[in-house]
Order: sequence, then C-alpha cells, then structure tokens
Amino acid sequence: MRRPVAPRQRGIEIEERRLGWLLVAPALVVIAGIALFPLVWTVWESIHLHDLRMPWRGRPFVGLENYVAIAGDRRFWASMGHTVFFTGTSITLELLLGLFLALAMNRSFRGRGLVRAAVLVPWAIPTVVAALLWRFLFDTEAGIANALLVGAGVLEEPIVWFIRAATAWVPVILADVWKTTPFVALLLLAGLQNIDESLYEAASVDGAGPWWQLRYVTLPLLKPAILVVLIFRTLDAFRVFDLIYVLTGGGPGTATEPIALYTFNVLLQNLQFGYGSALSVIVFLVTFGIAVLYIKGLRVDLTGARGR
Amino acid sequence: MLSRALAAILLLATCGVDPDDGRTVVTFPGSALGEEGRLLQRQIVRFMEENPDIRVDLQRTPDDATQRHQLYVQRLNARSHDPDILQLDVIWTPEFAAAGWLLPLDEAAVDTDEFFPATLEANRWWDGQLFAVPWFVDVGMLYWRTDLLPAAPATMDALTRGARAGMSDSVPRGIVWQGARYEGLVTTFLEYLGGFGGEIMTSDGRVVVDSPQAIRALTFMHAQIHNLGIAPEAVLTWHEEEARFAFQNGTAVMMRNWPYAYALLASDDSRVAGRFSVAPMPAAPGGHPTAALGGNQLAINARSDAPEAALRLIAFLTATDQMLERAELAGQFPTRHALYDDPRLAASLPMPADQARAIIEAATPRPVIPIWTELSEILQIELHRALVGQASPEVALGRAARAMTEVVDEAGIPELQERMRRRGVALR
Repeated sequence: MRRPVAPRQRGIEIEERRLGWLLVAPALVVIAGIALFPLVWTVWESIHLHDLRMPWRGRPFVGLENYVAIAGDRRFWASMGHTVFFTGTSITLELLLGLFLALAMNRSFRGRGLVRAAVLVPWAIPTVVAALLWRFLFDTEAGIANALLVGAGVLEEPIVWFIRAATAWVPVILADVWKTTPFVALLLLAGLQNIDESLYEAASVDGAGPWWQLRYVTLPLLKPAILVVLIFRTLDAFRVFDLIYVLTGGGPGTATEPIALYTFNVLLQNLQFGYGSALSVIVFLVTFGIAVLYIKGLRVDLTGARGR
Repeated sequence: MLSRALAAILLLATCGVDPDDGRTVVTFPGSALGEEGRLLQRQIVRFMEENPDIRVDLQRTPDDATQRHQLYVQRLNARSHDPDILQLDVIWTPEFAAAGWLLPLDEAAVDTDEFFPATLEANRWWDGQLFAVPWFVDVGMLYWRTDLLPAAPATMDALTRGARAGMSDSVPRGIVWQGARYEGLVTTFLEYLGGFGGEIMTSDGRVVVDSPQAIRALTFMHAQIHNLGIAPEAVLTWHEEEARFAFQNGTAVMMRNWPYAYALLASDDSRVAGRFSVAPMPAAPGGHPTAALGGNQLAINARSDAPEAALRLIAFLTATDQMLERAELAGQFPTRHALYDDPRLAASLPMPADQARAIIEAATPRPVIPIWTELSEILQIELHRALVGQASPEVALGRAARAMTEVVDEAGIPELQERMRRRGVALR
C-alpha cells in the first residue's frame, strides 16, 4: 500500500525524476542518433524501391517486395551458406587451438609474460594488412605456400589458389584462424585463471589424471568463458567482410562471397539502396537473433556456475 | 544525410568565387597519380597562367575507377555543387546523364567534327545530346614478341599456333590477359566476342550475349587455359598490371592490354624493350578484329556554380597541344582524329598512326546504357564462373543473358527514352 505523501515531498520526487531524465537525456539522444535512427532509416529504405542508378524510377513504396525478392535470390542463399560455412569452420578451429594455447600459457614457465604478449601480435595487425599478407603467401608465383607444398612433395606444381572454391577457402580460413586465435586464447586464459586450484588438488586426490581433470573440472568451469568467446566470434565471423574482400573478392565467381560482401556489392557497387537495405535488415535480424540466443544461454549458465 | 551535410560544408568552402582574390574557382577531382598526375598538374598551371581569372583546385581522388565512381555518385546524389568537373570512365556517361547529374554540352563549343565519332557516341544520351568531351581514348591491343614470332597473328588459329611456337621453358606463357572478375574481364571478352562475330546487345537493346558466336568466343578463352595450355590459370586472378609484369619480364609470347603499357614495356628496365610490337586483336572467320573502346571523358556537374569556367578548362585540356603532350608523356591516345596526321603524334605513338587510327575507328564500345555497370557485374560473374570451370560457357552465358534481360526490362529503358524524347532534353 502506498504511503500517503505530503504534497511537497511529491513535488521533490517529480523534480528528481525530471532531473534524472534530464541527466540521461544526452546519452539517450546519442544512442537514438547513432543506433536507432540508422536502423529505422534502413528499415524505411528497405520497403521502398530506391536505385541510384535508375533515378527515373523514382522511389515508390513497394511494401515487402524487396524481401520477397530476397527469398528467391540464389546469390543471397549461397552467400548465407558461405557465411555459415566460414563461421562454423573458423570458430571450431579457433576454439580448439585457442584452448590448447590457453592451457599452455596457464602453466608457469620462464618467459610466460613475453609469450602471452607475443601471442597477441597477429590480433593487433589490422585485418586488411593481414589479408594482404596472406594473399601474398598464397600467390601463385611468389607465394611461400606453393613453394613449401611443392618442396614437401604435396603438390606437383604450383597451383592457383584463388580460382577454385575449395582452395580459395584455405587462405581465408587460415588467415582468420591465425588472426583471431590469440583473442580466443586470451579470453579462455582469463577463464582458466578463475578456476580454483583446490579443485584440481581434490581431483588428483580422487585419482583423476590430466585428461579427467580437463574433462570434468576445466571444461565445465570454463563454460562461461567459452560462451563469451562464442558470442564475440560468431557475431564477428557472421559479419566477415574485409578479410574476404581483400583475399578473394568473393570469387571465383561468387563462390566465397559472404552475406556482408554481397550486401556491400548491392548497396555500394550497384547502389540499389532499397534492396541493399532489405539485405542489411536481414543481416541485422540474424545477428540480433544469435546474440539473443547466446545471451540467454550465458545467463542461465552463469547462474548455474555460481552454484545456486 | 551525413553526406548531404558534408557536401553542404564542402560547398561553402569551395564553391563559386574565391573570397580573397575574386577568382572563379573550379574544382576537379581527377587522376593525380604518377606521371599522369604530374602532367595534369603542369597543364593546369599553364591554364591558370593563361586564365588569371580562374583558379583550379585539383583534388586527389582514388586512382581505382570503381572508387572514383562511388565518390562521384555519393556527392552528386547529395546534389552537391562540387566538384565542377568530373573525369568519367567511358561507361559512366549515360548513367550520370540519365540521373540528371551532367550539364548538356553545346556541340558548337566543342568542335565535335574533330573527334572520333566512336568516342563521341559513347558520350551521347537521349536524342544524341552530348554530355562529355572525350579526353583520351583507350583501345585493347595485342602486344606480341617480335623475337619469337615472325608476324602478329591475324586469326584465332594463328594465335594458338603462334603461342605454341613461341612458348619455351623460359617463356612458359603463350598469351596473357585480364581474367579476374572485374570490368577488365568484360573488355577482354568483348574483343574475343567481336572476333567471333558476336555482340553483347543489339542496337535495339536486346541482350544477345548467349548467341552461338558468344559461346564460341568464351569457349575459346576457356580452351586457351584448360585445353590448349597457352594461357596460365593465373590470368583468372589478373588485372592489367599482373599481365604487364608477366610480359615485361619476358615470360609471355603475347598479351592483351591497353596502350598505357607500351611506354613502360619500352623503358630501359624492361626485359622486352625493343623486342615487342602491337597489333589489332585477331579475328575468326565471320568475325572482325575488335578493340574494346575505353578511355576517359570530361564532363560538367549539372549543379556547378562555375559552368563557363569549367567548360573553358575542359576545352583547354582537350585542345590539340595538351593532347599531344599527354600522348607523349602518358602514352594516352588523343581523341581528335586530325592529330593522327600530325608528325608530332607519330613520334609518340606505339604503332604507325594510320594503324592506330584504324583500330580506334573500329573500336567497339560497351553498350551505351545507364545501367551498364549493373549488367556488367552479372556478366563478369558468369564469365568468371565459366572460365574457372564452375559452369559450361553455354550455361553461364544463358544465365547471364536471362539475368541481364531481366534488369533491362525492369529498368524501363525504352519507356524512359520515349518519355525523354517527348519532353526534349530538359534534365535539370
């Protein structure tokens, strides 16, 4: 039951509430301006026909026509498939390698600080620079990849990596793994250091070997850290753009084109703002969905980990 | 919105008249790199000396044509008055004109009689109204090694035989060209297409890129790589420069490229200096030697605040002396046909002037249509798919033709032309 409030006190409450709104107003305006407005604008564009190359067609309202067209767009579905493939493959490799690195870095040895810092170097290199580097490594003539593989007898002669889908993916995945595994390893390392040493002691007393300790102590307790890694990496990998733009340009044909690159081509190369905006909205919805799923999973797990 | 605001700021900063000295300001974001850039700067300084009432702001732009295209489109779409002068690739003029972004030009002020008709046609839209002045012209040519071949091949069969005859351990490539998935692949294809007697679109606007001739042309390009073994697989990732490096290092018997390569190949640090020549691309029976028409044009922003001054600068840059200088220093072919009788030009051309003139006069433009870049993207992807072996030439070209036809129909080009014809050219 509400306590009766003196008119003067209620005045103060209203005053305070108003002050509160006033104080957060600038932040709200900024958020609305940089997050909400572009989103609403994009949705608005996506229900119109707006093609800068054909200004004579005007900018008529077309309802969901752009979305219907996307549903039947083979290049869209193919690019979605490429994105899922890239995301799944690269994250699996990064998690396995990252876990291995984190376990190694978690042990105490001389020069551990240096190793931990050095491991981060690939992550600090701008993606475009890294992509150029990897393109050079996989160059047909000057590339070291061909030289090594021919030298080792794996290949009979140098191959052109970027004209077959199967081989064009190799440098793409390798470059991403090389670049982001350190980030994954660092997050997992932080998770490892949160695990109580006494648990391992108890496990050894119970006669658990290294594998059992990993399986029944480390991995369950590392789950929150792994989920954080998955959120960041899935969202990042799903929006992959610069790496593939530089490495393969989405080729051969469109065989390595991810959804972000397709959207970029439609929006900024073909200047189809309506259709491109509809594509952007779909990318937004998918990434938003992934984020919601993960956050839900994470919350449940965090409370579980706290042993409630 | 943001770009509009930025454009407004730029506008305040640069438009019209310089408040300090009262000179009219003309802004020109043009190619500013390398020898070409230095040449342009010199010419602009000369222009300002001759025209003390005008100040030209040469702005740096991306050298990559696609990026320059984006820059222009963003500004012009935001109704910016700046820049005043636009440097257009030959395939952009109809697109920009259709959008109402270009000032229609007065033919009398441009002495159009002096220019190659092909270069002018590419800059006309709607009832033949001229929208840009051809600045320099590019044509695709066949570079060949005079120390490896007795003569340039005139037929496709001769090309195959010559490539094989000239190839050896030290010259492992018969022919190199631009095969990466970009506009350059379309120009290469256009030349083989013409060589086999096909075309991309008919004069009445039908897409015929799936004709038997087109399939033969693409099959031949595919065979060069995969069956005949005269072109390396790597060409499918190459642009102009990669092909030039290969030829300049002496590792290729022949190369398809633009005129710019000539001066570089003939320079002192080139391994093939004095051992190569150029010729028209070969043709099969039923086809004709075809050079893709490229090159750059100068046009005026429809919203320019200084259209008269801009036109004076364009007239200066496209005048005889400046074109001769450009040919000599940057190796770019003049667009005025009369110059090909001039002995001064003959000295700087890579081939006899008569032959150059013949190639340019027979050069084939890509379809003069506002949505070319969109059509080209479809074609690039399907050509590349066929060449890397993801689809047969027949299937790929069939798909390309269907998709391109769909875009043409959707764009309503015939209706648009009809409407403009009735209204006259009142674009602004």
